[in-house]
Amino acid sequence: MSSTLNVVTSQEYKYGFVTDIEADSVAPGLSEDVIRFISAKKGEPDWLLEFRLKAYRHWLTMTEPEWAKVDYPRPDFQKIVYYSAPRAKAPKYASMDEVDPELKRTFEKLGVPINEQAALAGVAVDVVFDSVSVTTTYKEKLAGVGIIFCSFSEAVKEHPELIKKYLGSVVPAADNFYAALNSAVFTDGSFVFIPKGVACPMDLSTYFRINNKESGQFERTLIVAEEGASVSYLEGCTAPQFDTNQLHAAVVELVALDNASIKYSTVQNWYAGDKNGVGGIFNFVTKRGLCKGKASHISWTQVETGSAITWKYPSCILLGDDSVGEFYSVALTNHKQQADTGTKMVHIGRNTKSTIISKGISAGDSSNSYRGLVKVQPKAEGARNFSQCDSMLIGQTSSASTFPYIEVQNRSAKVEHEATTSKIGEEQLFYFQQRGIPAEEAISMIINGFCKDVFRELPMEFAVEATKLLSLKLEGSVG
Amino acid sequence: MSTATASGLAQHDLLGTLLATPRPPEWADLRAAAEARLAGQGLPAAHSEDWKYTDLKALQQIAFGPAPQAKVDVSALLLPEMVGTRQVFVNGHHAPHTSCTSAVPAGVRFLPLSTASEACHALGTVGPDSASPFEDLNSARFQDGAVILVPKNLKVALPLHLLFITKAEGPVAVFPRLMVVLERGAELELVEEHHGEGTYLTAPVVEVRIAEGAILRHERVQRDDAAAFHLGTLKAEVAKGGQYHSRTLSFGARLSRQQPWVRLAEGAEASLDGLALLEGSQVADTHSFMFHAEPHGTSHQLHKCIVDGQARAIFNGQVLVAPRAQGTDAKQQSRNLLLSESARVDTKPQLEIYADDVKCSHGATVGALDPEELFYLQSRGLNADDARNLLTYGFAADVLTHVPVASLRRALRQLVMARTQAVSLGDLS
Repeated sequence: MSSTLNVVTSQEYKYGFVTDIEADSVAPGLSEDVIRFISAKKGEPDWLLEFRLKAYRHWLTMTEPEWAKVDYPRPDFQKIVYYSAPRAKAPKYASMDEVDPELKRTFEKLGVPINEQAALAGVAVDVVFDSVSVTTTYKEKLAGVGIIFCSFSEAVKEHPELIKKYLGSVVPAADNFYAALNSAVFTDGSFVFIPKGVACPMDLSTYFRINNKESGQFERTLIVAEEGASVSYLEGCTAPQFDTNQLHAAVVELVALDNASIKYSTVQNWYAGDKNGVGGIFNFVTKRGLCKGKASHISWTQVETGSAITWKYPSCILLGDDSVGEFYSVALTNHKQQADTGTKMVHIGRNTKSTIISKGISAGDSSNSYRGLVKVQPKAEGARNFSQCDSMLIGQTSSASTFPYIEVQNRSAKVEHEATTSKIGEEQLFYFQQRGIPAEEAISMIINGFCKDVFRELPMEFAVEATKLLSLKLEGSVG
Repeated sequence: MSTATASGLAQHDLLGTLLATPRPPEWADLRAAAEARLAGQGLPAAHSEDWKYTDLKALQQIAFGPAPQAKVDVSALLLPEMVGTRQVFVNGHHAPHTSCTSAVPAGVRFLPLSTASEACHALGTVGPDSASPFEDLNSARFQDGAVILVPKNLKVALPLHLLFITKAEGPVAVFPRLMVVLERGAELELVEEHHGEGTYLTAPVVEVRIAEGAILRHERVQRDDAAAFHLGTLKAEVAKGGQYHSRTLSFGARLSRQQPWVRLAEGAEASLDGLALLEGSQVADTHSFMFHAEPHGTSHQLHKCIVDGQARAIFNGQVLVAPRAQGTDAKQQSRNLLLSESARVDTKPQLEIYADDVKCSHGATVGALDPEELFYLQSRGLNADDARNLLTYGFAADVLTHVPVASLRRALRQLVMARTQAVSLGDLS
């Protein structure tokens, strides 16, 4: 490619700063005592402690998964701090003025609309800072229509029957190595409950942020949409720059009953390590949605641009007849990043439909893999799947892989999978430049075109952010 | 030697029994290396990723012994174009009385391995050390095999015909072996057929070395007994500008697995097409590996399966593009037709790409016959069965279109017609 493009100037991580707040932490390491400490600290009921201990005991018998196409130093689970909470001045903030000013400045730098401006943005924000939910806005407005949107700990206290009913119902405690670890030590997260027939009047949003050095984050998100309910949920992530690798093992469970619809959108931009692959987040997430009811609908949209290692497969279990699962993904890797991401669509009910659109972009020395499963079980009459997995390679030392597993046990199923790999053509760039568009801008436009099918699934403000993020991430790396 | 399993069924030590037979004297190094790998590895574990969908339990419940020499009548298997270019192997041993090489052109060596010592150094040198334990088992215990050497720039006009036949009274294991070497600029058409009768395990190993600019067209037909196990390995290395085109047609065996591996050097071309027609409780597995090691290679793969009864088709097709293989053009298609309620397909096309200037794509489809197409044919006066059979035949037939040997093409079409019950439609060829 033309020499003018050969200048490699890496975009510095914009959100790399550390907030200095005294934390209330437990010593590093994991044992039943640590789990009891976490549970006691959070004032949890006995059944939840039992859930944790059971998960922990099972986790001890498990080994880390090694099938993914990622290579990284195994985390030392005894060096991780499993509980760290910002020291609260009062048990609950009555208004924004009471929030630690240091913390507020952090959020301002991140551009989180936590204060009154949130009203204009029309977004209710449940902020997870390290492990404890600090404040929640718009709760009352949502409560007016019967929606519960609160931190996970709060939900355990105020709606134990709902948590008990749905926790672990989609991702069982022993599901996989990281889900088991999360089930044992999760500290906080979000809980959303949309009652029967209610369409959530606004997009719900959570910003996650890993702040305490050595603290792993183990969020737990649970979203339940009852019959005929609908909700759109946004998750966005940024993290400060650290040299030690940080482990993130979240679990997200979605449950959609008859005719319910859940749309879950993620923009993930955690610290990916520096150009030489030093530091960065290990993102080992289990996300799964259960289309439990008839004609229920779960849609995952993700834009993955951060993390040193990504191991993530947002999935849909299509149990209800006529249910629909969707997965739209853009995964961009640069420098030494490694991503192994995709989805699972398990067709169990009749006339279930799924769509998979995955766009992988690999630049620098990175490795980007799509790994997916489409499974049609014997009873899934009339199941239908369409998958399209495209990869774009930027730079001669990056790699792109596609590993789709297709298992069909019903004759009436119709499953289609397509994958292509390509690069940005010299002619394409020349054409843009000839019309006065500089190369960098041209690349950004080509990539946005490549990802269009996914971006248009994102809520407006996320789509804008995602477009910017992609050009930012690739700045100077094309050549 | 047998041990009881939890299910109460006896499980035999397949490797132990077969390796206890005397080691044939030739190719001592090759055999020793294979045995050493087997000692460390054994049969594939039930849940290993490579054997995820193919269960070898049934294989382990049968006590396979070594295969004795036997006589067979091959008259029904002869093809008019290849009357004098035929080598026959029965139970892994050369059958000189049924072979005929009178029409093999001068310069071409088409011989049993046992009389072609010059192939010694080449045997076992193609491809990676080992792709599967069945390949090692073959290397450790094969009795004989065929060797084909085509000298520089010789374009062989007549196709060569290789018949590997197994005839078993009790359960036996046979290890057919084939080495094909094409020197620079040589061209050859080869038909390799596997037939058999009885309960047996056949684990053929085929090695192909294609020099610069040479071209091999390789038709492979698997018509083993419905009680047989066929676990085959094929390894081909294609030098600069060379071409390797193979087509594998699988009809028989209760369990079959084809493991083709192809390495392409600069500007080389390869195609690996396949058709599997399955019924009853047959299982057919294809695990292919297309290795684009150098720049500007072209590969094409079309794999089709028609699955009826409770049969199961498995496809795992890997395409690997190495960092220096810029300008690679690779296409792969896995197409599957399900004809019955309990048929099953597991397909996994894979792309692994380490070079940026490439054109690679793969696709997979699984489905039943299109109701609209059925309706269209019925609206033109065909009854429902004929419409179904014609569409099924049509799905299979495009893999056969380019079979170069006319009599073989006709025979295969008739076979496909019989299996798809399209015979009543008259001559479709």
